[in-house]
Amino acid sequence: MSLENVLTNWSQYRKGHEEGGFHDYEHMWGLSIDLNKCIGCNACSVACYAENNLAVVGKDHFEKGQQMHWLRIERYWDEPDLAPGESDMYPTRGASFLPMMCQQCNAATCEPVCPVAATYHTPDGLNAQVYNRCIGSRYCSNNCPYRLRYFNFYSHYETSWPEPLNMQLNPDITVRDKGVMEKCTFCIQRIRSAKDTARREQRELVDGEFSTACAQSCPTSAIIFGDLQNKESKVAKVWDEHQVELGKTQQSKENPEKRGYRVFEALNTDPCVMYLERVREA
Amino acid sequence: MNGNDIDRRSFLKVMGWGGAGVALAGCDMPTTVTLEEGKETVVSYLMPEEYVIPGRGVWYASTCQQCPSGCGIHARVREGRVLKIEGNPSSPVNKGGLCMMGQASVQSHYNPDRITKPMMRSGGSLVEVSWDDALAALKTTTGEGAEGSKVAWLTGTVSGHQRVLLDGHLDALGTDKHFSYEVINGAVVRAAAKAVYGDEQPEYDMANASVVLSIGSDLLGASDSPMNYSRQYAEFRNAPRGTLVQVESSMSLTGGSADRWLAVRPGTEGTLAMGLANLLLSKHGKDGSGLSAATKAAISSFTVDVVVKETEMQAADVESLAQLLADKGANSLVVVGGVATGYSHGYQTAVASMLLNVILGSVGKTVKSAGGFPFEQLSAQAGSTGGLFEFTDSANKGDIDVVFVYGTNPVFTAPTSTGFADSFAKVPYKVVLSQFEDETTVLADLVLPLASGLEEWGTHVAAHQTAEKSISIQQPVMEKLYKETKGFGDVLLDLLKIRNEADFGKFDDYYAYLVSAFGALPADFKGGADDKTFWQNALSSGVVAVEASKADLSVAKVDVKVASYAKDASRPYNLTASARLGLWDGRYANIPWLQEAPDVISKAVWGSWVEMHPITANRLGVKTGDFVKVESEHGSIEVPVYAHRGVHPDAMAVPMGQGHKEYGRFAKGVGVNPLSILANAKDEQTGELALSSTRVNVSKVSFNEEDKMVRFGGSESQVGRKLVASIKADVFNRTEGA
Repeated sequence: MSLENVLTNWSQYRKGHEEGGFHDYEHMWGLSIDLNKCIGCNACSVACYAENNLAVVGKDHFEKGQQMHWLRIERYWDEPDLAPGESDMYPTRGASFLPMMCQQCNAATCEPVCPVAATYHTPDGLNAQVYNRCIGSRYCSNNCPYRLRYFNFYSHYETSWPEPLNMQLNPDITVRDKGVMEKCTFCIQRIRSAKDTARREQRELVDGEFSTACAQSCPTSAIIFGDLQNKESKVAKVWDEHQVELGKTQQSKENPEKRGYRVFEALNTDPCVMYLERVREA
Repeated sequence: MNGNDIDRRSFLKVMGWGGAGVALAGCDMPTTVTLEEGKETVVSYLMPEEYVIPGRGVWYASTCQQCPSGCGIHARVREGRVLKIEGNPSSPVNKGGLCMMGQASVQSHYNPDRITKPMMRSGGSLVEVSWDDALAALKTTTGEGAEGSKVAWLTGTVSGHQRVLLDGHLDALGTDKHFSYEVINGAVVRAAAKAVYGDEQPEYDMANASVVLSIGSDLLGASDSPMNYSRQYAEFRNAPRGTLVQVESSMSLTGGSADRWLAVRPGTEGTLAMGLANLLLSKHGKDGSGLSAATKAAISSFTVDVVVKETEMQAADVESLAQLLADKGANSLVVVGGVATGYSHGYQTAVASMLLNVILGSVGKTVKSAGGFPFEQLSAQAGSTGGLFEFTDSANKGDIDVVFVYGTNPVFTAPTSTGFADSFAKVPYKVVLSQFEDETTVLADLVLPLASGLEEWGTHVAAHQTAEKSISIQQPVMEKLYKETKGFGDVLLDLLKIRNEADFGKFDDYYAYLVSAFGALPADFKGGADDKTFWQNALSSGVVAVEASKADLSVAKVDVKVASYAKDASRPYNLTASARLGLWDGRYANIPWLQEAPDVISKAVWGSWVEMHPITANRLGVKTGDFVKVESEHGSIEVPVYAHRGVHPDAMAVPMGQGHKEYGRFAKGVGVNPLSILANAKDEQTGELALSSTRVNVSKVSFNEEDKMVRFGGSESQVGRKLVASIKADVFNRTEGA
C-alpha cells in the first residue's frame, strides 16, 4: 500500500463494518462501567481470577509483564479533562481508577493479524480465542491498543495451583498452558450455561439472569453486563441514556454532556465496553 | 469428594439437605471427570453421589469468615468441590457484593499449607498426634484437676453460638479470662461514640448524606464494614451527588475516591476538627448549645491561623470545608477513624470530630441509632489491642497456666515493643487452634487443626451492625479436605465436654448443638414454622432476620482537649502502618491471588514499600524503587520507596500484612512487617495501641535485588489520552439529576 493510496482512501480505511458486512449477531454482549462509582477496590479482578482459572505468576514473572490479570485496575494521578487543581503539592482530587478488561471490539485489531484464525469473532459479538488453535505468534497482543491479551510464556500449572489448590479450578473452562494467548471472554462459560438453560426451558434469555464474575462481585454495582441487542436490557438502556452507539468512531451526541465514552474509540476498534466519566466536585 | 471416603448419610447431614440455594445450570452434558488423587475415573459418575448432578453447580448460602464484618456468601459447589464465592443478596451486610478477601477465601480453604493433623510439642519440636492424644492432654491441663481460673482464651472477634460455647467454657472453668484482640479495630472510635452519642456504634447514613467528611477513616477499605459502606457509597454518588472529603496523612482506598483529598500533618486531625468547629460556631452561626462550656472555650482558641500552623493545610481549604459543611448543615456526616485515631490523643481527635456532627445537627439525621441486637449473648465481641495488653499483664503476673489462641496471630501482629513474645513464652501451656502454621502456631505446645470457614458450622453476628439485624448462618459447603481437622464449634464442644459433660455430653457434634439451639428459639421468632422448616429456611437463605430492639442516641456534653503537634528532631517522620483491603493485618498474606493483586495506591505486588512525598524523597536523595531504612526506637526495616504526592511530607506509610517469618510458602519471607518496629505508645483515654504515632528516622540504603519493588504499569499519568475522563459534579447533577 503506497502512501498515496493510504491518503486517497483514508476515509474508507477500516470502515467496512459501518457500511455492511456481517451484522446478523445473535447477541451483542456489552458492559457499562460507571467510574463515578468505581472505587478501585480490586474485587472484580480477584473474582475474575476465581472464575477464569487465571494463573498466579509470582513476582519475577510479574516484573517481566507476564502476569495474567484479565481484568486489571489501572490507577492514574492526573485528570486531563479537568482544569489543573489548585495544588501541585497534593493530588487533591484523589486518584483515577480504570477497570480494564478485553473491550470485545467489533472491529478488533487483534483478529485480522492471527495467522491461524485462533482469534475470531463469534455470532455473539465476542472476540474469542481458540486456545487449541493458537500457535503463540503473539501478533494479536502486539496489535491490541489496550494491551489486554496475556501470553503464557511458561506453564504455570505446578506453581500456581500446587495441590490441593487445583481443586478450585473451574471445570467449565480450561487451564491454559505454555505458548497460548489468553484474554477476557466476558465469562463465556456463564453465557454458554445460561443459553443452554434457556434452550432447555424453551425460552429466550432474560436480562439479568446471569452476569459476568466482575459485574456480579462489584460492591458498588459500577459494572453492568448484558445484551446490547436487547433494547430492554439494563446495559442497553444505559448505553442509550448516555448516547453511545456501536459502529462509530466518534459519537454524535445530542447532549454532549452525557457521560458515556469508549476508550480509544477514534482508533475505530468499536469496543463493546462503555465507560461513564468519573465525576469530581470541581 | 474423596471417592470411597464419603459416607452418604454424613454427607447429607453436612450439606444440610434443603439448604440448596440458587441452582444454576451447567453444560448439558458432563464434560469432566474427577481430578482428585490424580485419578481420572470415567466410571465415577455413572453412579454419582445422590444429590450431585455432574456438570451442575449448586449454590449454598453461608457466611464469609475473612473479616469480622460478616458478609453473607453463596458458594458454588460442583462435583463436591467448592469453586467460587459470591455475595449473598439476602444478607443485609453486603447485599450481593463481596470484596477481594471474600472472593479469595477459596484459596484459604484449598491452601497447600494447611495443618492436617493435631500436633504436640515433644523434645522441642511439634510432632503429629491423634485427636485422642490431643484431647487426653487437654483433659490433663484443663480437666477437673486443673486450676480453671488460670485458663485463658486469646481470640480474634468471636460471635454467634461459638461465642455462647466459648462463654460456656469460661463458665465451666470458672474464669473470665477472655482476651479479644484485633490490630485493625475501631476500639477508640467506639469509646468516643459511646461518650458523645451514647451508643458505641451508631449507624451512619452515608447514602443520604450530602457531604461526608472522613477524618482518617478508610470507610470503603479497611473499615468495620467495607461492603456496607461501599453499597451506601454507590447511592451517595447518585445525583444529586454527595461530596466526599477525605482528610488523612497518607492516601487510603477511600481517599482515592475523594472529591477533596486534603493532606494533614500526622496527628493533627483533631486540631482541624476543632478549627472547623470554631468556624462553624463563630463564622457560620451554628448552634453550640449541645456543647459543654469547657468544650466551647477550648474550641474558641482554634483559629484558622492555629489550624494552618498545626496541620500545615491551606487556610482556604479549611475555610471552604467549613463553608461546605455549614451549607449542607444536618445533611453532613463526619466520620473518623483509622490513622487519625492512632495517637496518644486519638480518643480526643475522635471526640472532636464527632462533635462536628453535634454542631451541624446531623445526630439523629445522618448519625442514627442502629438499634440494639436482641440476643446480647450472640453479638460479636469486637477485638481491640487493649485485649492484647490485658493478656500480657495477666501472663506476666503468672495468672495464666493454659492459653487457647484462636483467630489471631499476635506473635506476628504485636509490636516487639509490647513485649508480647516474652509474656507469651511465660505461659506454661499454649494451645493454638489454627488452619496454618503461622508465627504463633509454631510456638504452641499443642496445635489443634481447624477446618476452613467453608467446612464448618457456625452462626455469626456482624461486628458492625446496621438497623437491619440478622444472624448469619455458616454451613459446610463441602466435605472436609482433611478428615482430622475440626470446626471451631466442634473443638469448643470437645473442650466443654471435658469440663461439663452433664450439659454438653448429649450433643454428638456442633451441628447437633446448633440444630437444638435453633429448635430452642422462642416460637414467635420462627414465624409459625416448625423447627425443621425454620432450620432449613435458615440454611437456604443464609440469614435469619431479627427484630432490632429500640434504642436512641443521647448526646452528652463531653469535654475535649486536643494536643498540639510535638516535633521530634531526632526522628523527623511519622510512621503509619497502613491497613489495606487485601492482606489486612497479615492474615491473607498466604493467599496468592491477594499477593498478586496490585495495591490500590502503589500498584505494587508481592512485597512491601514505603510511601513518601516526592519532596521528602528528594530531601532523602531517593526515588521510587530505591531502598531506605526506616528506623524507630524499637528496630528498623529496609523497604523500597514509592514516592507519590498523596502523602504528607512528614509521613511515612508502610502497609501492614507482609514480613512473615512463617505462614506457608506464599507468605514466608515476602516483604517487611512495619508493626514490628512500632512504639508501645497508647491512647491516653482507652489504652489502645497508638498505631500511627511511632516516630522514625529514614535514610537511604543500598539496593536489594531480592526485595525490590515490582509494580503493575509504568505510567502514573494518562499522558493526555482519554482513559479516565472526568467531568464536574454540576454537569452530572444537571444531566442525571432526577
